[in-house]
Amino acid sequence: MAILSAKNPILSAQNLCVESLGAKESFPVLTDLNFSLEPGKILGLVGESGAGKSMIGRTISQYLPKGFAVTKGTLAFDGEDLVSMLPERRRSLLGRDIAFIPQEPLSGLNPVLTVGQQIKEHLLRIGLAPGENWRERALKEFEAVHLPHGAALLEKYPHQLSGGMCQRILIAMAFASRPRLLIADEPTTALDVTIQARIVKLIAEMQKRDGTAVIFITHDLRLASQISDEIMVLYAGRPAERGPAKQLFSAPAHPYTRCLQLANPTISGPRRGLFILPERMPGLRVLKELKGCRFASRCPNAVEACTEIEPPLADIGPNHIAACIRTEKTPQIVPPPLSPGREIASAKVHLNGEKLTKAYTTAWSPFAKRSAFKAVNSVDFTLGEGEFVGIVGESGSGKSSLARLVVGLDTPTDGRITLAGRDVTSNGRSEKAYRRQYIQMVFQDPQSALNPRRRIGSIVTQANEASGLHTGARERMDRAAELLKEIGLPPDAAMRFPSQLSGGQKQRVNIARALCTLPRILVADEIVSGLDVSVQAQLLDLLLKLRDEHGFSMLFISHDLSVVRYLCDRVLVMYRGKVVESGETETVFADPQHPYTRSLLAAVPPDDVNTEWSPVAAEAGYQIE
Amino acid sequence: MRMFATIAKLLVKRVITAIPILLIVSALLFCILRILPVDPAAMSLPPNATVEEVEAMRKEMGLDRPVGEQYGIWLGKLMEGDIGRSIHFRQDVTSLIGSTLPATIELAVIAMMVATVFGLAGGLFLFYVRGTRAEAVMDFFSILLLSLPEFLWSLFLLLIFGVFFEVLPFTGRLSPGFERPVITGFLLLDSLITGNLPTFFNALEHMILPCLALGIALSPSLMRVLRSSLLDAYQDDYIQQARLRGLSEKRILIRHGLKNAILPTLSLMGVQFGFLFGGTLLVEIIYSYPGMGNLMVDAIRNADLPIIQGAGLTYCVAVLVISIVVDSLYLILNPKLRVR
Repeated sequence: MAILSAKNPILSAQNLCVESLGAKESFPVLTDLNFSLEPGKILGLVGESGAGKSMIGRTISQYLPKGFAVTKGTLAFDGEDLVSMLPERRRSLLGRDIAFIPQEPLSGLNPVLTVGQQIKEHLLRIGLAPGENWRERALKEFEAVHLPHGAALLEKYPHQLSGGMCQRILIAMAFASRPRLLIADEPTTALDVTIQARIVKLIAEMQKRDGTAVIFITHDLRLASQISDEIMVLYAGRPAERGPAKQLFSAPAHPYTRCLQLANPTISGPRRGLFILPERMPGLRVLKELKGCRFASRCPNAVEACTEIEPPLADIGPNHIAACIRTEKTPQIVPPPLSPGREIASAKVHLNGEKLTKAYTTAWSPFAKRSAFKAVNSVDFTLGEGEFVGIVGESGSGKSSLARLVVGLDTPTDGRITLAGRDVTSNGRSEKAYRRQYIQMVFQDPQSALNPRRRIGSIVTQANEASGLHTGARERMDRAAELLKEIGLPPDAAMRFPSQLSGGQKQRVNIARALCTLPRILVADEIVSGLDVSVQAQLLDLLLKLRDEHGFSMLFISHDLSVVRYLCDRVLVMYRGKVVESGETETVFADPQHPYTRSLLAAVPPDDVNTEWSPVAAEAGYQIE
Repeated sequence: MRMFATIAKLLVKRVITAIPILLIVSALLFCILRILPVDPAAMSLPPNATVEEVEAMRKEMGLDRPVGEQYGIWLGKLMEGDIGRSIHFRQDVTSLIGSTLPATIELAVIAMMVATVFGLAGGLFLFYVRGTRAEAVMDFFSILLLSLPEFLWSLFLLLIFGVFFEVLPFTGRLSPGFERPVITGFLLLDSLITGNLPTFFNALEHMILPCLALGIALSPSLMRVLRSSLLDAYQDDYIQQARLRGLSEKRILIRHGLKNAILPTLSLMGVQFGFLFGGTLLVEIIYSYPGMGNLMVDAIRNADLPIIQGAGLTYCVAVLVISIVVDSLYLILNPKLRVR
């Protein structure tokens, strides 16, 4: 087994084990972690949620969840063991030598303090040069992260700023002390693609300036391969593969890495099917009893030997190791062909929007003039039978506002909506009832969209209550069983509560609920964002399968262009309430006409690691911030 | 500067909306009390008055005119600051309220201070012991405290400190023989202004027991709200982020946790303070404290309509003022309401 040792590592882990110690039983969270990180290098940590990526960051800070503890091994920062060092010593390192950038920039700042108060607190703690004024220093740090109007920014509160600006402030704070180690935990997951690109480039730029070593945690293998020097893929708390980023991405040795890669839809080249990783990662509780390779139950290449012994990390190439006994078979894992039945040729138009406009006016006040803001501005679109149409754009572009107009949650201030030949613009009582038969909406966050106090069986058949048909308990249970079967959940799920399901299962229930009364049109608002790529692939294929069975059409809103490219026949690109480009998905993405579409596409990390990712060049003139 | 402008805006808005509220309350007070089967004319005459004398009195008091007109006259006088004359005390209602209201305000304000100190300290302690065995014990006591009403506390404290140990006075505002300066009507304030320290300390001694009783009764709910809002705040990322920047736990608690958790606690305090004005009644009776509560009880017992009307209106104004004060504080402490 190769222990990768660098000359003077800034961070090195040796046989690091973290366990959750319960009163009755304890189970492993991280197992036998070995790695070292040299100054100035970026290590990408990749894996599904629950793989233990964030736990590494928490182990470094030693702010572990209750009951979790390091049970074996060492984790040394510049030669000092972080685990055994005095808490006071560790605290003095945090914020000075070891800095963190959080996942949610908006909630990472205190809402009741101004930006100035917060950066002042931090600057005073890390110490200023003699005679240096905190304000001047703060402005200097803001300038370094390309934040304009620094002086005005100091007076602002976090809620007055966008997510991207908050993240820049947090990055400025993190780099203010010229830290030697930075841990960035999914720093761009909550942001738009274009902003993600800029933030990632900014972290790389700052990291180069100070020679900081970075641990970059992400669920996006493609993104990690673009920014990192080295990548470590974690599976169920154990490293599956580790190697130089480009090499690992272009020739993954571990089947898990390969499967993750193939589960993610591409942004360029011919469209391919998605590899569907079955089930999900084994939970922490089962790991203890699990024999052999932890990935074996989901691995397409697994043979009997895989379930007998846990494969050691073995050398694959220079600095490249993988925990698999059949690495030579990994390249044989290929994506399935594109699901058939995608060509649904029908000229029949279901839904038609003409010059749709939704203007919001500010609330009446005796002190200010009312002003209007057009969230949706004169949008024309059609949706044919069986057609999936994607709507892409940054947040604030009017995607969700358009969806609300379509499902009738809002009434347009101008324009016309026709649904199956009937004008439903006025959105009166009878239009609403008519619309309900045709359109159902799937919401983004299943966590809050599903009533936690109702059983799944009653949630998925909720639409029966509104329609007043088939409301008998017996009928509803029968319908629930059918729906659960269609979305691939066991029948006994009907009696469970949402809290007993995983995130992906909840989103399936969310989809099943919309399908209950067999609507002709689904409106889906960001329904796969925030999910693991494996779960995302399962859901995308579920939607395609359901379309084959029921022939519904869908408006699919997403900020993820590769998902839209995989799923949708046509695409609308929205910018500031207007549709700036539309057409066949493949045509639009292969040959974008509008500069805004080009900047969106350029912001997506390319499929090929050797293609240079240059998101900043294309975006000139189209900046929201 | 911007903060003052926002608060000024709020004040203007709230004063404008207060006018219809006061009109509705005054109309309600007037109507309900006119419906009561009580004849103010008969009551203001000796029991042996003849029917003719009562009729003459009714005419003199304007009770023979239509109700709408009566309300108009009453409202007109109200504008001039004349709420009428108490039938029972034979004094202007304005001066009666003027002499009792400051006593009640003093009681309520100090009681609220006691509640705030106990509530914040208890809430912080409850939060500090979270997840330990002490939490269960503290939880038990905070529920026990919550279930004891203020009049029971009044009786306990009176019996222990007033009767058994005889260390604190428990009747009235001042012991006999003390000079009573009158400038604003607020005894503590007036004795301080005139430099009359003996009176000040004597008055303060009289306030200890009733204020403790009220304050202790109000504090457990404050404790529990503060504890739970602190727990909520500690779920948020900025707390974790502050830790990762290496700030000390003490600093995180005071500067980051408490500053956010204080907001829900503040709105509860506003509600409590409003209730306190009506809620001092029992405590005032137990401690024979000459405030609005005692005045109100006398007025109701004697069906003294003008006082009831006056006291009702005073209560309404007090609640409106308190809510404006609380909302202004909220604006100061919560930037989300202040700046967009």
